[in-house]
Amino acid sequence: MLAILALSPFLLALVALCLGKHSRWTVLLAFGPAMLAVCFGSMMQAVMTSGPFSASLPWAESLGLTLAFYADGLSLLFATLICAIGSLIVIFTSRYFDREPRAARFLATLFAFMGSMLGVVLSNNIYVLFVFWELTGFTSFLLIGFYHERKEARSSAIQSFVVTGTGGMGLLAAAVLIELSAGSHDFSALLSGHAGLRESAAYQWIALLVLAAAFTKSAQTPFHFWLPNAMAAPTPVSAYLHSATMVKAGLYLVARMTPLLGGTALWMGLATAAGAVTMTVGAWRAVAETDLKRILAYSTVSALGLLMMLLGIGTESAVTAVFLYLLAHACFKGALFLVAGTLEHETGTRDVTRLGGLRSAMPATALAALLAACSMLGLPLLAGFVGKELLYEALLSHGSPWALFLLALAVGSGALLGAAGLISGLSPFAGKIRQAAPAHAVATALSIPPLTLAAAGLVAGLYPAIVDVPIGLAVASTLARTTPVHLSLWHGFNAVLLLSLLTLCAAAALYHWRDAMRERIWPRSVGTEQLYTGALRALDTVSAWMLPALQSASLRSYALVLILTAATLISGALAWNGLPGIPQITEVRPAEAAAAFLTIAGAISAVRARATIVAVLSLGVTGYGVALTFLLFGAPDLAMTQFSVETLTAIIFTLVFYHFRRFRSLSSRMIRLRDFTVAVVFGGSIALSLFFVGTSVTPFGLGRYFAENSAVLAHGRNIVNVILVDFRALDTMGEITVLATAALGVRALLQQGPRNDGKPVSPLILRTAARLLMPLLLLYGFFLLLRGHNAPGGGFAGGLVVAAAYSLNAFAFGTVTARRALLVHPSILIGAGLLMALGSGIFPVLSGKEFLTAQWLAPTIGLGSPLIFDLGVFCVVIGVVLTMTFMLGEE
Amino acid sequence: MELLLAITAGTLYGAGFYLMLRRRLAQLIVGLGLLSNGTNLLIFTGGGLTRSRAPIIPEGQTTMAGAFADPVPQSLVLTAIVIGFGVLAFSLVLAHRVHEMTGSDDIDEMGLKK
Amino acid sequence: MTNVLVVPVATPLLTAIILLLAPRKPGLQRWISFVGSLVMAASSVLLFVTVQKQGILVLQSGGWPAPFGITLVADLLAAMLIVATGIVGVAVTASAFAGVDPVREASGYHGLFQVLLMGVSGAFLTGDLFNLYVWFEVMLVASFVLMALHRTQAQIEAAFKYVTLNLIASSLFLTALGLLYGGTGTLNMAGLAAVFRQREIGTFELVLAMLFFTAFSVKAALFPLFFWLPASYHTPPAAVGAVFAGLLTKVGVYALVRVFTLLFHNAPPQFYQLLLAQALCTMVIGLLGALAQRDFRRVLSFNLVGHLGYTTVGLGLMTQTAMAASVLYIFHHIFVITNLYLISGIFLRLRRTTDFSALGSILREHPWAAAISVIPLFSLAGVPPLSGFIGKLALIRATLAAGAWWTSAIMLVVGVLTLISIARLWDESFWKPATVPDRASMNWTMVLPMAGLAAITLAITVTAEPIFQLTLRAAGQLLNPQVYIDAVLKGDYRP
Repeated sequence: MLAILALSPFLLALVALCLGKHSRWTVLLAFGPAMLAVCFGSMMQAVMTSGPFSASLPWAESLGLTLAFYADGLSLLFATLICAIGSLIVIFTSRYFDREPRAARFLATLFAFMGSMLGVVLSNNIYVLFVFWELTGFTSFLLIGFYHERKEARSSAIQSFVVTGTGGMGLLAAAVLIELSAGSHDFSALLSGHAGLRESAAYQWIALLVLAAAFTKSAQTPFHFWLPNAMAAPTPVSAYLHSATMVKAGLYLVARMTPLLGGTALWMGLATAAGAVTMTVGAWRAVAETDLKRILAYSTVSALGLLMMLLGIGTESAVTAVFLYLLAHACFKGALFLVAGTLEHETGTRDVTRLGGLRSAMPATALAALLAACSMLGLPLLAGFVGKELLYEALLSHGSPWALFLLALAVGSGALLGAAGLISGLSPFAGKIRQAAPAHAVATALSIPPLTLAAAGLVAGLYPAIVDVPIGLAVASTLARTTPVHLSLWHGFNAVLLLSLLTLCAAAALYHWRDAMRERIWPRSVGTEQLYTGALRALDTVSAWMLPALQSASLRSYALVLILTAATLISGALAWNGLPGIPQITEVRPAEAAAAFLTIAGAISAVRARATIVAVLSLGVTGYGVALTFLLFGAPDLAMTQFSVETLTAIIFTLVFYHFRRFRSLSSRMIRLRDFTVAVVFGGSIALSLFFVGTSVTPFGLGRYFAENSAVLAHGRNIVNVILVDFRALDTMGEITVLATAALGVRALLQQGPRNDGKPVSPLILRTAARLLMPLLLLYGFFLLLRGHNAPGGGFAGGLVVAAAYSLNAFAFGTVTARRALLVHPSILIGAGLLMALGSGIFPVLSGKEFLTAQWLAPTIGLGSPLIFDLGVFCVVIGVVLTMTFMLGEE
Repeated sequence: MELLLAITAGTLYGAGFYLMLRRRLAQLIVGLGLLSNGTNLLIFTGGGLTRSRAPIIPEGQTTMAGAFADPVPQSLVLTAIVIGFGVLAFSLVLAHRVHEMTGSDDIDEMGLKK
Repeated sequence: MTNVLVVPVATPLLTAIILLLAPRKPGLQRWISFVGSLVMAASSVLLFVTVQKQGILVLQSGGWPAPFGITLVADLLAAMLIVATGIVGVAVTASAFAGVDPVREASGYHGLFQVLLMGVSGAFLTGDLFNLYVWFEVMLVASFVLMALHRTQAQIEAAFKYVTLNLIASSLFLTALGLLYGGTGTLNMAGLAAVFRQREIGTFELVLAMLFFTAFSVKAALFPLFFWLPASYHTPPAAVGAVFAGLLTKVGVYALVRVFTLLFHNAPPQFYQLLLAQALCTMVIGLLGALAQRDFRRVLSFNLVGHLGYTTVGLGLMTQTAMAASVLYIFHHIFVITNLYLISGIFLRLRRTTDFSALGSILREHPWAAAISVIPLFSLAGVPPLSGFIGKLALIRATLAAGAWWTSAIMLVVGVLTLISIARLWDESFWKPATVPDRASMNWTMVLPMAGLAAITLAITVTAEPIFQLTLRAAGQLLNPQVYIDAVLKGDYRP
């Protein structure tokens, strides 16, 4: 039930969205929150008799997230306020946005905010509180940026989002720390048991983080600057979020946490100090402004400071004053904001120096404004008066010297605030008509909500006892003890009354000399916004400074970083435990040494080469050297493949880099020296790794098994080939996919360029040779394929030979002839080859065997699925090589 | 012999990297080729050197008798060679296209002309 | 039944072959590709359900027993990532219906895309380290070709940066494999895990660890080896960028997680400090880099790098909750970042660029597209209750519970930087009034895949509990390699 109530505004948001432009009906949506307000209000009685409500929906328990709700007096007071004012705002908005096409979207966001705000005050789970807390920030971001064609609206939206979001991170951290310290994330459990948070090791961090979240959200100095800027939002938003509800979430948080974290010098001192400074700064700045909404915004900052200060003081009378003043403030400030909105809607301006004498044009609005301004001023018979009396009493009765200092600040701020109230509520209606005048009468929907709020202030001022119950419950929640509260209008003639009168007179005087005061006020700004803009500018500077290095530096510098990192880590690893002993090594034989020296010579020559062709040939030499090594150490298949691939690479290289110029050395000697050093260090660390750790232990694990089973189980005697097409055929499948993809890429690249029919002028001898060699090569290729399973050869080698035959043909007679001789298009060959390989893998699956299990038809002659697989490799290789050579030949 | 081959492999890695740090596209690709050869040599050497027979079971026998070269590193190197070839071939053709388009093979100049 | 393991790998290959052999008609090619992806996604879900029910699933390809053939293995982590791959595949192939550049399409774009998917699936499912290298190369060559198909200077330059750095990484990986086989005599991951369990960490193991660490850090775009990503990911078309961003880096992270949980679980503590420091540096540098960018996709690239730091925190802490949180973050991030790159396709279509100077007014002109974009965008920013918040909450809880104060503090600061970056991104592309008009009309087929991915993001929020339970189990498997070893190696073939 409670969960449904708390989440119902989100449903209303959907309804508002669906209603769309039928603005006549939107006013009916106000019934929703009104009903909710009645529900929450009536629940207070039940809380009195039978304790707090709670309800819970599952979400993610193992992350600490349960949609648990908890309604005690404190929660219900806020919830009622949120819904009651919300319903008035909806009524107001239905008319305020009569010409706004995006009104439905606006209202939906507003309801989403309402739901989030209810979530904040009704959450039992501290993480869920954080969820809703951030959602209020996010919806506020969207609402402030509602007029997103205006730059200041967008930048203010981002500012408030970032500032409150930063505080939010603190709340998240605090929530986790609370759970870790107290073992629970539910307020109901934390509040009922001895959470012992004050004694926990993380207490200071928790308190600081919670206060940081509260201070940013409730616009306490030095974070207060976002709130006046947030006035770029439509006025109903300012009235609702940035005066009555969202900015009070911070106060709610502090009140909620006071039983758990309060009472320490850190907590009380910080809250009181921040509150007092904020109260003074806000009041001071309020009277300096001329924009109605900015006046109200700064006065809200001041009020929030006042409330934070009282919460910090934390005595019974102070906390009582908090809740009464909170209610009074919600009424008069909400009313004044709505009046400001009405004025802007009707006259098109919010500048107090251009407004005046409007009392006869908009009498109902004027009455609301007057009542609200008087309440803000603290005139007797209004709620503001009772609130102010309680405030002064709380400070007077505290008895410590710094309380008197705070009292002086409070009186001064009270006078400034009173003047601000009069400026915003009285001056537009009093005196003579100035530049701005309304075009038509004010609609009822625009005048009723502010009038209702102002009247509520009057009722509460006349009979303060009607809020005894809610305030008493809220005080009890905050102080964690039952405290009956009896409010009354009249406290008798005493010092408090004297202070009230003093405030009144000072406010009247300030109002009278408001223009002179506005001009002379100093300092105009406390400059805390620099914290935000400065920090962002610093971040941007760092970012811009890093930018070139991060994204547009040369490939070489990135490669250098990578190589350096690798070299450092590898040499570090080698040095960590020291090198192991020198492993047992085999002696050097002349032929093998020659192969190694050939390789080294090739590498050095490639480095020193000044012409492309020399570099390419040197690469070829190293490749041959490596191939020779393979041959000498019992790897004929490997040698064969290495030789042919190296040749093929060299051919493609020459075709491609045929016309490249000689190199000039483009790098300076220093850079070359640096690169050389890095290369030597890296090459050295690789050599050391290979020598000391690569050759030390050689268990020779898999080879033995393959040797035993290759002939018996896999029906092949060339073990390397059997590994490729059977034991590890999946590798080969990936390998031919790489080849095929590369070939298709080559085709795609070259297709886009200019083509010819690839008709070469070749000498007769080449043509004769091609004609003679072609059938021989083809035969040899197939022979290699078929014998591959038992002797050096296989699909890869065979395919290369066949491809060589066709390439030769293409060089001799042109690619047209060669293509015709091939009968199929090379890419069909690639596709067919891949299909054969994949098919030989899928085929055994059909009979319930594992993928790629060899199926033998006649194992003695090697007829079976591995042969099909090898045939696939064969086809792919032919297709790939021919795609490349044909395409390059046709360039 | 292991020492000599380790030095050879190290030289190939070093030379490959040195060339990759040059500004010529052609040098970059030659460098990649050297690196690929170096890696193949390393796998082969790391798998254990033996001068004995190739891992091919003689006719009429069912298993290898006596010492023989480990076939596994050989098959790994084979796969690596082919994959290396595929990537290298495509890089080559791409370099060729770049050269055609820009008339330059200086890597640093590639990004400048938009 | 274990053959279900190979379906997510074989299906894209089969689709690619059909695409290669079928006529090059755009409509036909798109449908083949789409149906292929659907089949792959369905098989991935089937695989996931099977793993969920039966535990780690093993297929000995070719029917050869474990350390000898190539084993395909799906534990929960792999199964989750395969499902994500399947879904991303469907979304991205569906986005092709809205139009692909004709030159690309004629060059075999769809086939290349399927090969890429095959590589990703293979990498997630293989239980063999050399086979992992092969799948890395399949991905690399397919993505290289996909990038190079576009012909502007900047794109080709980006392609060269991408491929060169990745090739160096591949050769380091291969170097490690060469040494590894020489020293242990096996390439099977479970076999290696069993060998390494019996060994102290010595020079051999450390050198290997460093080689793997460097190679996979490049693939996963982690500090200080991430620069190839921001230098290249802003250039390819939206759909290609979406797969790159969503899946390819995750394969790197996956490889890092797999190798370091199986092989080096008893590494010295300094190693884990190194990993953690790397994760934190990645986060900070990535997000700082994002702030000065003036291009939608560049901002995304840097955010991507920064958030990859979140994904390796679990590996640095090696606690079950931290590992689970990182896995959760990876899972959420795949859908969100893929979606955002697809959304950049809207800008490419409407304004021909993703530079901020040409963006704006999307909320005004196309409110529904903007409304869908809100979900991935602010999920990335970690705004609750979206999936990014769930991941972040899990991470913060896990790091604080592990006493890693600095890690949590930096993650929170990075959270603020992300907030700034995303708020600005939203402002520049959706809010501010555009100075240039749309140059094409909105195409609703392009919004559908985005809506689908956004729905998944929301679903992760709603089903946070079962998903986190799943990641906890996945983390449990990762931290207890014996389960993996027992599943793969049967009886006789233990080292």
